[in-house]
Amino acid sequence: MTQQQTVIHDPMLIVDQLHKRYGDLVAVESLSFTVGRKEIFGILGPNGAGKTTTLEMIETLREPDGGKVTLNGVDIRRSPMDVKRMIGVQLQSTSFFDRLTLRELLVLFAEFYGRKIDPLRYLQEVDLADRAASYPAQLSGGQKQRFSVALALVNDPVVLFLDEPTTGLDPQARRHLWGVIQRIRDEGKTIVLTTHYMEEAEELCDRVAIMDHGKIIALGAPRVLIQKLVDSGFSRERAHALANLEDVFLSLTGHSLRDDE
Amino acid sequence: MKQTWVMTVAALKMYLRQRETVIWAFFFPLLLLGLFGFIRFDGVGTMHLGVVNAAGANGVAVVERFRHVSALEVSEGTEEAERAQLMVGERDLLVIIPAEFGTGAAPRLIVLADREAKPRETQLGTLIVQKVMDDAVFAVAGSLPRTTLDVHAVTVRNLTYVDFLLPGVLSMSIMQLGIFGVAFAFVTLKRRGILRRLKVTPLQPREFITAQVVSRLVVVVAQIALMLVFGVYVLHVHFIGNALLLLAVAMLGATVFLALGFAIAGLARTEDQVPPMANAITLPMLLLSGVFFSRSNLPEMVRLITGVLPLTHLADAMRAVAIDGAGVAQIMPQLIGLGIWAPVSIGLAIWLFRWE
Repeated sequence: MTQQQTVIHDPMLIVDQLHKRYGDLVAVESLSFTVGRKEIFGILGPNGAGKTTTLEMIETLREPDGGKVTLNGVDIRRSPMDVKRMIGVQLQSTSFFDRLTLRELLVLFAEFYGRKIDPLRYLQEVDLADRAASYPAQLSGGQKQRFSVALALVNDPVVLFLDEPTTGLDPQARRHLWGVIQRIRDEGKTIVLTTHYMEEAEELCDRVAIMDHGKIIALGAPRVLIQKLVDSGFSRERAHALANLEDVFLSLTGHSLRDDE
Repeated sequence: MKQTWVMTVAALKMYLRQRETVIWAFFFPLLLLGLFGFIRFDGVGTMHLGVVNAAGANGVAVVERFRHVSALEVSEGTEEAERAQLMVGERDLLVIIPAEFGTGAAPRLIVLADREAKPRETQLGTLIVQKVMDDAVFAVAGSLPRTTLDVHAVTVRNLTYVDFLLPGVLSMSIMQLGIFGVAFAFVTLKRRGILRRLKVTPLQPREFITAQVVSRLVVVVAQIALMLVFGVYVLHVHFIGNALLLLAVAMLGATVFLALGFAIAGLARTEDQVPPMANAITLPMLLLSGVFFSRSNLPEMVRLITGVLPLTHLADAMRAVAIDGAGVAQIMPQLIGLGIWAPVSIGLAIWLFRWE
């Protein structure tokens, strides 16, 4: 893997030669990367690049055809139950039991791990303390995503996996979730997320892996990857834009959230 | 274990918060019972008269006369058999022609009836019998001593349609709860990825399924309790069985239908596919398994085929326990039937069930 510039000591996650095929289609091909502790690691790529399959194999939802994954020193194929206890997962399509309140859902999921928790603390973490008695159906898109992050935290995981956490959210809600994710990292967790929003990766991730056709085609800190491209002689047609359309949108509509009203 | 318990409580909570299922599980069966309970189909059209002829040749003419009365439907049999029929409400009135009848002694008939349970039938029946006897005597001799009617009061178990219906409706509810309750819930959980979300937690699939099954069984117990109380106290159903045995039979039946529900949940990809599959299984049984009407009127072939259906076993066993006070020995054939269905349906569920 020539793209890997940094050598990570005491890594949280080591993915080594991971392989998955569906019939003739190779979904993930000899994938290798390493994630350090307290890192926010992004997996980028177009739809069908193999991001979700990769995450699902690491999360023990899918059996890999080959390769090895070590999470916090544990081989996931040898001890999947230990891995389940250590990870927090937000799946791509967020859905919960309909007829339990947020508070009840958090308490129930914590019980799956044999933990007793104060649900309010977890709701505060994602700025949903006032919705403790709501049902999931009463939440907006952004609130649902934030709640599923809270639900992924009930077992105090060492790694948090977020699969396209901000897809479908408006810019305000997206930025709010970025804040939540950064806060969680600052509290000592490692975060692996997928996205296809480049500005999200640039803003949020310490390092990113760019995937296409089941392979990693670039890996490194966003700034390093950009620098590399610039060094190779690339320049934008309209270089040095001081603002983009999203900046216009946000300056017009404000940074405050709309979905909490 | 702890996880299973917590999940069971949560599953029960979710179930009870679902208004439509609660209506179907509790309100609808009660409504059905109430409707049929208050409408009385058994008005006085013909009266069913049991006749026991102990007088041999001397009594034959009397029996013949009874047979000619259009308001009477006459059944003749031994005293033992006819008494039994009277006791379960199959006869409105029992007339016994004593051995000494027609031998010169003062003519006398013994009449057995329950004034309390069938006041109109008792009164009308004795009048008709008296009239028939008077006419007979008059025709022969012009005037001879009148036949005395020796009326003995008995207490019969006058079974009504509701008595028949209650165990049937209970069986129906258990089937609906098992098949529809589980199939819909699981297909929704599956399609919306909630089962996948559970798979990344340490909760084991078997713990989750146990929780679903146990929570539904709790609902079955509540259903039975509610319907028995309503049946006995509001509709005055004659329940003489062992409630615990009834519950045990219900649990066995519920197990079979829950497993069938899981099998459908495995086959169906979306909620839309559930009703056709579930109806294909439940409707024929509803109509042919003796829930609403006795299977004894079905053609021989149909009766043989429907005799093996799980709802038939369940309804027959529930009914035998509820209205005949049957014990384990009497319902052994049904228990064996359900006992065969249980592993078959559980096997089917395991074979068909998918988490994704």
